[in-house]
Amino acid sequence: MLRAGFIGFGRMGITHYSILNSHPSVDVIAVCDQSTTMLSILKKYVNVMTFTDYREMIEKSSLDFVIISTPPDSHAQIVQFALENNLHVFVEKPFTLSVAEGQNILSDFKFRSLIHQVGYVNRFNEVFIEVKKLVDEGVIGDVSNCYSEMYGATVVKDSKSGWRGHRKTGGGCLYDFASHCIDLAVYLLGQPEKVAGSVMQSIYSSGSEDLVSSTLIYENGCTVEIMTNWSDESFRKPTNILTVFGTKGKIVADKHAYKIFLKEADPEHKLDKGWNTAYLPDLAQSVRLYVRGNEFTRQLDYFVGRIRNETIGNIAGFDEAFKTDIVMEQIALDASYNHSFPDNDLRSRLFLRKSSEKPSAFGKK
Amino acid sequence: MIDNVIFGDNQFFGINHMSEEKARNLSEKFSDLKAITDIIEIAYDSGIKSFMINSNERARDICDYLRANSSRYPDLCLYPSMPYAHKYANMVAEKGIFATLKETILADFSMGNIIGMITKGGGSLFEKDMIKVMQLLVDIEMKIYRDLTVKVVFLQNIVSDLLLGFGLKDFFIAFDSYIRKKYHAEAGFVTMNMPKMVEFLIDCGIENPIVCSSVNKAGFLMNPDINSYEATLKDKKFRPVAMSILASGAVPPEEAVKYVCQHNSIRSVVFGASSRQHIIETKNLIERYCQF
Repeated sequence: MLRAGFIGFGRMGITHYSILNSHPSVDVIAVCDQSTTMLSILKKYVNVMTFTDYREMIEKSSLDFVIISTPPDSHAQIVQFALENNLHVFVEKPFTLSVAEGQNILSDFKFRSLIHQVGYVNRFNEVFIEVKKLVDEGVIGDVSNCYSEMYGATVVKDSKSGWRGHRKTGGGCLYDFASHCIDLAVYLLGQPEKVAGSVMQSIYSSGSEDLVSSTLIYENGCTVEIMTNWSDESFRKPTNILTVFGTKGKIVADKHAYKIFLKEADPEHKLDKGWNTAYLPDLAQSVRLYVRGNEFTRQLDYFVGRIRNETIGNIAGFDEAFKTDIVMEQIALDASYNHSFPDNDLRSRLFLRKSSEKPSAFGKK
Repeated sequence: MIDNVIFGDNQFFGINHMSEEKARNLSEKFSDLKAITDIIEIAYDSGIKSFMINSNERARDICDYLRANSSRYPDLCLYPSMPYAHKYANMVAEKGIFATLKETILADFSMGNIIGMITKGGGSLFEKDMIKVMQLLVDIEMKIYRDLTVKVVFLQNIVSDLLLGFGLKDFFIAFDSYIRKKYHAEAGFVTMNMPKMVEFLIDCGIENPIVCSSVNKAGFLMNPDINSYEATLKDKKFRPVAMSILASGAVPPEEAVKYVCQHNSIRSVVFGASSRQHIIETKNLIERYCQF
């Protein structure tokens, strides 16, 4: 049995716990969180050790891996400590808040020998997996440009409490919605060369942006338009929309379905000339326990499978997620040049974040 | 006794598991309450007396309408499903779980000793008794359905499957007994993991549990697989309620109904439709193929 520890027990931590607690090869040993209320509830209802300091938890619990779902500004520090202690690491997205922090982790030789994954869950969604396969197999020809969009009604008033309303702690639409859109672009097409025309706007939030748009430009001239708005009340829940244009046709996809338009029929893929549609029921693959969407289970089972040497590849490793970190930093910088974000010290905070600076939470000792 | 045919409400709220685009179109179509009550009227007049209603923002309006028109619907009974998690999701993202619970409870119970229990020492009630918190939340949600006939109160799959993963037997047992005692109704559980849920509920000592899950030929939203579903339907003693029988449109209606009805243990089917033609067609198919 693999011994698991959880660091951060908010909405994502709880979801991950439910999924892994029921995994036949995993024993959840310990949970670390800053909320003593949460810990005392766990103590009462669940058989698990509890900690408020992740270092103490790691030192005392002889774990095999950790699941980190803390506010993003603490990711780098906790990941580093876990790697130093020879633990496999799953960390929620975004990977870190600066390229410098990410580079530090990637240059640590330990990360090469341990299993690492970032919670870019779209990479485990059946529709997006299928879209990637179709693009890789050249069904729509050479990709010329894409739209990677995400909308939702996550923020509909100025939230001053909690980490999500503040850029410094890793809140804001860039690290949240836009990271998913950029990750889908990286997943499909790899690392863009540069970004242009970036805009970050506040709609409700005083401490962060609610809308991000940007153009990612690839070496071969291909572009990806990023458009995200987490204050769009017309959406019942957060929704990704991906449109990929190629020389032979185009694909329009969301998490539940994709449509593909082809200029000519593709008998090999059983696709007609014109529009073809595939829905999730045609593509869906069941999981051992469905909690909030089967991609959440698939991503964690993949992570555990890799630790157990049962699955190969590296679908959402640190090195992949780092590419998105680079793009996010490029966008923030580009947007600050465009004077589009009303936060004047954005650049200084991004690039001058000292390694000695304490993250807001989980730094107690 | 659970009704054989129950009318579902997902289509009213822009929920479609097959396509996010279709879901948005439905949400536009039913943005007017009249469009929803028209469909309820058609379903009722076609002979369907049972309605599953999720406790979302629109449920309040729908239930107000049903109370105001109670003489129009003398035999109507409801199968509430709670909580509607999206209602709380943004507040949880903004303020955290406990602040959300606290504000939700305080907003509703402005009187009595609840206020003291909650405010004293911040999270004292949460630390002391989460079962009590669950009961307070059930009471808040149940107010939506007051004065209407309620047969079964379902725990929504987002919560029931999350707690199933935690293995929290106490909560399932407490929910079941609270619904019986306070509301004189039965507790039901919606799940995307029916075989595991049935086994778990039986382990909890909940006899002949009511479990609502997808049952369709496509195996859609049936975890871990269709074979385990078929085996559980055959071998376990529980009251299955079948939903998503059309697999969001992947299975043609007649084939879908035939598949569901070949399982003798299924005595209840939930389906949603957004036109007179689809309501009548599906109801007729169920009555033709299922030997209730």
